[in-house]
Amino acid sequence: MSVTAHVPSEKLVIKKPASNSSFLRVMRYVSVRLLTLFITVVIGIYLTIVIANMGGFVDQIIKGEIRDRITQSFLANPSVKQMDPEVRKNLIQEKIALEEKRQGLDTPIAIRNARFLTNALQLNLGRAINITSDSGSKQVRLILLERLPATLLLMGTSQLFLFFSSIFFALSLSRNYGNFWDKFVIALSPTSAVPPWFYGIFLILIFAAAFKVLPFGGMVDSPPPLNTFDYAVSVLQHLILPGLSLVLSSFFISVYNYRTFFLIYSSEDYVDMAKAKGLPSRDIERAYILRPTLPTIITNFSLLIIGLWTGALFTETVFLWPGLGRTLFQAIGQYDIPIIVGSTIIFAYLLALTVFLLDFIYVLVDPRVKIGQ
Amino acid sequence: MNSTQKNLLHIENLVLHFKTTSGVVQAVDGVDFELDSNRAVVILGESGCGKTSLSKALLRLLPRNVEKYSGMVNLHGIDVMTLSDEEYRQSVRWVGMSLVPQAAMNALNPVLKVGDQVAEPAMIHLQLSKAEALILVHKMFQHVGVPLDFVDRYPFELSGGMRQRVALAMALVTSPSLIVLDEPTSALDLLTQANIMNVLKRIKHELGTSFILITHDIATSSELADEVAIMYAGQIVETGDAKDFFPAPLHPYSQMLMASVPRLRSESDPMFITGQPPSLMNPPKGCRFAARCPFRFEKCGEEPPVFQKGNRKVKCWLHE
Repeated sequence: MSVTAHVPSEKLVIKKPASNSSFLRVMRYVSVRLLTLFITVVIGIYLTIVIANMGGFVDQIIKGEIRDRITQSFLANPSVKQMDPEVRKNLIQEKIALEEKRQGLDTPIAIRNARFLTNALQLNLGRAINITSDSGSKQVRLILLERLPATLLLMGTSQLFLFFSSIFFALSLSRNYGNFWDKFVIALSPTSAVPPWFYGIFLILIFAAAFKVLPFGGMVDSPPPLNTFDYAVSVLQHLILPGLSLVLSSFFISVYNYRTFFLIYSSEDYVDMAKAKGLPSRDIERAYILRPTLPTIITNFSLLIIGLWTGALFTETVFLWPGLGRTLFQAIGQYDIPIIVGSTIIFAYLLALTVFLLDFIYVLVDPRVKIGQ
Repeated sequence: MNSTQKNLLHIENLVLHFKTTSGVVQAVDGVDFELDSNRAVVILGESGCGKTSLSKALLRLLPRNVEKYSGMVNLHGIDVMTLSDEEYRQSVRWVGMSLVPQAAMNALNPVLKVGDQVAEPAMIHLQLSKAEALILVHKMFQHVGVPLDFVDRYPFELSGGMRQRVALAMALVTSPSLIVLDEPTSALDLLTQANIMNVLKRIKHELGTSFILITHDIATSSELADEVAIMYAGQIVETGDAKDFFPAPLHPYSQMLMASVPRLRSESDPMFITGQPPSLMNPPKGCRFAARCPFRFEKCGEEPPVFQKGNRKVKCWLHE
């Protein structure tokens, strides 16, 4: 075997890195990464706080509301009418100051923002201003937790269905490039420019108003059925229309997207080679198309999972679905800053955590990726 | 039956045309040739004359824009063109013919270990377990000169020469009777080229495999070739025994191609052929080389038939 004679030297050169140095490398990478992600989260949350109270402008609105409400209630009270105008004015001023102090409006906005930020970062979500949970609590944490299952049910079913069906159909289209269904999907992909709530309105018109086969909105019949089976059936019935509108609005663009993605990767030389080797097409798809693109697919999937948290603002509102999206929509309308910030901080933490974990998942699924190099 | 049995491979009128936005490209246009067992034929020609398309047509690795794909490819006496895709996959792919691709760099899946990739065909076609297949892989790695511990490496951890050897081991693993090598060494340095050519010679000698070597590197290919086929503008213009061909090529194109190879301390400069191969979109009528040929005469306006000259064949009116 004369040709192998030069090989041992090549072997020596490559097998060098000691385990100790690679441990240090990974630790250094982890700490730097965590620090930068934390800074990103802090900046993101601070911006959310500033934007949510419109740089202090919301204070003016709330102060105006307090003044208005208290003055009105005093004027409506007959016993106050007898009072000396000066005393009454002082009394009103006092009451307003008290109310402003109660809501913390007397502290400067910068200090309040900073306090808000530190609380938020410690997941101290505080109390909502106006919105209450169904059980009557004003704790932001309780409000969000109460709405979470509804959102997970709606978003979870629709998004997971969308994800897996897109990949399945996209693979089959990329195999049959240029056939009728391929052209059909491409032709329909612009329909995804229409938002899901718009489809929702039409679906309500068709299936609830015209055919009267499905409910208009909500999550269960009222009164809710007593036995579990009927309850589940009722929830499923209410789930169909909002779920369908979420799926319908992004199905074609999503299939188109993945189909093009797979098409690019299936023209790689190694895919041709796998075909020449006589691998069954199922194996080619699994090991030569899906496997090399796994990092991208995993990234999309994990972003989808944390995307469930925000819910579907307008679609939930259109269907009166008691989820996080609708709560957030209400909170924005009522300047309920703690709810907005609370929802955002959790999303920010989830996002940072996902980005952090993805770095390690990449190493597991792609041998070319090394941490900290 | 006797005549087909003697031949390992017998191709007749193989055609592969591609559809493009500006017209039909006649990349392979009526190719005939034959090959015996344990022989190596080298297919020579300029870039863009359809050599790689010929290998694609042989292996049924068709791109999406095929316009026409027809002809007869007889392998071991069976016309494989009549097989369905699934039959072809099971009985021809890597069992009858295997491929060493042009750029082994991209021919290996970046996220699978090279050992597993080499083992795959053996597991599928020979129904071996993974452990048995890996024993075979070890044997093939020894044949082509890849260290055995490379089995657990990923393609990006290998040098270009090693990757090419892995691709070669992959082509050998199911012991097919024919291996198509599409410019297997054109991306490598001279030493590695020579090394791989030696490996090929040894494999041919030890395993009795036949090779179709597609290249434009005349010097290196002459090492391995038993037979030569010259390809020009989608057609084969000359075939013959290597030891007859190299000293005295018949077709004017072959002569000029050979004259273009630089020689040590030659009196004259290496020749080059003026002009370019004709567009395969609208190939000229008659002899396709006529426009660049110094010997052309009136007859060249007609399509030349293939003339038999001893045991050689040439597609040129000069040899009528």
